[in-house]
Amino acid sequence: MRLLMAAMVLVFGAAAGVAAAQSLQPVPKLESRVTDLTGTLTAGQQAELEQKLADFEARKGAQIAVLLVATTQPEEIEQYSIRVTDAWKLGRKKVDDGALLILAKDDHKLRIENGYGLEGVLTDAASNRIIEDTMVPLLRQGQYFNAISAGVDQMMRLIDGEQLPPPDRTWQHRRAQNWNFLPFLLFGLFFGSSILRSAFGRTGGALLSGTAVGAVVFLLTQLLGIAIGAAVISGLLALLLGASGGGWSSGGGGFGGGGASGSW
Amino acid sequence: MRTLKVCLILAGALLASGCGYNRIQQQDEAVKAAWSEVVNQYQRRADLVPNLVNTVKGFAAQEQKVLIGVTEARAKVGTIQATPELVNDPQAFQKFEAAQGQLSQALKSLIAVSENYPQLKSDQNFRDLQAQLEGTENRITVARNRYIQAVQDYNVTLRSFPTNLTAMIFKYAVKPNFTVQNEAEISHPPTVDFGSGGTPAGAAPAPAGAPAH
Repeated sequence: MRLLMAAMVLVFGAAAGVAAAQSLQPVPKLESRVTDLTGTLTAGQQAELEQKLADFEARKGAQIAVLLVATTQPEEIEQYSIRVTDAWKLGRKKVDDGALLILAKDDHKLRIENGYGLEGVLTDAASNRIIEDTMVPLLRQGQYFNAISAGVDQMMRLIDGEQLPPPDRTWQHRRAQNWNFLPFLLFGLFFGSSILRSAFGRTGGALLSGTAVGAVVFLLTQLLGIAIGAAVISGLLALLLGASGGGWSSGGGGFGGGGASGSW
Repeated sequence: MRTLKVCLILAGALLASGCGYNRIQQQDEAVKAAWSEVVNQYQRRADLVPNLVNTVKGFAAQEQKVLIGVTEARAKVGTIQATPELVNDPQAFQKFEAAQGQLSQALKSLIAVSENYPQLKSDQNFRDLQAQLEGTENRITVARNRYIQAVQDYNVTLRSFPTNLTAMIFKYAVKPNFTVQNEAEISHPPTVDFGSGGTPAGAAPAPAGAPAH
């Protein structure tokens, strides 16, 4: 949570600092898996990449995004890309299986930024090999789409080697939340009832605390029912929206600066 | 009498949450977590060094000075116990910082020297290690930035009213933060040497700068 706040502060600070002497490049909004701010890829190429990444996410759960910017100046590509990943939060929460492939076209620099959960398979050395051996030769010939496509293919192949939780995330979240309140409830019962007992005597206190717990449980289960209902409805809505092409978002994965950079 | 006791307990609980005690605890933990990540990444770098030194040795054994410099800096880093309590001791913190800074310098000159050996540069093992080193250095930068943020939040809490009173009662002190490592270097304009061809200019000044720290 603190990291999130820090990231937010950083991002907002950066946004506010635009008026200052050295303005940082803004982080674009995450709207699709492929974000091309340079107009390098054709609509068809973007759709092809998008489809490939969407299929992969549906199959494996990991989220890969591609970002093309003109330049990251005055920052280095590493600094810019960690700002982007802190804002975008690719990958699932706690699994942290997100990755970003970022190209700064005018700087002739590129970078693969990996979430914590992928550092085991998409190591720095492996990322470096993808960049140096596969992508850079193609980029030198100006074959942007082929370079990106081949790079993404290799990233996916490596991630396939990692045991990740199955892609259905809504189910897991609901289950995890369901029993979160139990320890608090028990704790509250112990303390609350001892206070109530000392204040209102043994029977009165027990009666009161029993009523209170009953009420809390009722409230919680009611709320949970409503929450589950809301989750199902919003899930259905998201499905419908997903069919019409929008409504995709990242899952809240964390990044720590792992990956590799290169230039062409 | 009983009701009074209950009231006191409740009032105490309210006071404790109102005067920022809980916030201090939270932010203190956040600083510790951020610090652990910093130490973790420094450790990762230290673990890379022996492999890196051995690989470079295989191709450039004559670069004794640089290789010994890295090994010694690595050994020094190993002697400092990076416990979580370190963040509460400004002096130990500085020593840790200095040792890590020295290793950074030594590694920089090692990489600079390796530029002169095409065979080493094209060795796959060395390329992998170099990528790992670069990745780890970047992770260190990220971890340090996050630590700086966490300490800033904590220190601001500790200095603001009324939490500063709570901090005084429970004896919490502001934590030391990272400073720019090469302050002296930045404040002097870099010397550019165009003359005397022959020796590679990039590698020479770096090792000379390292012991000064």
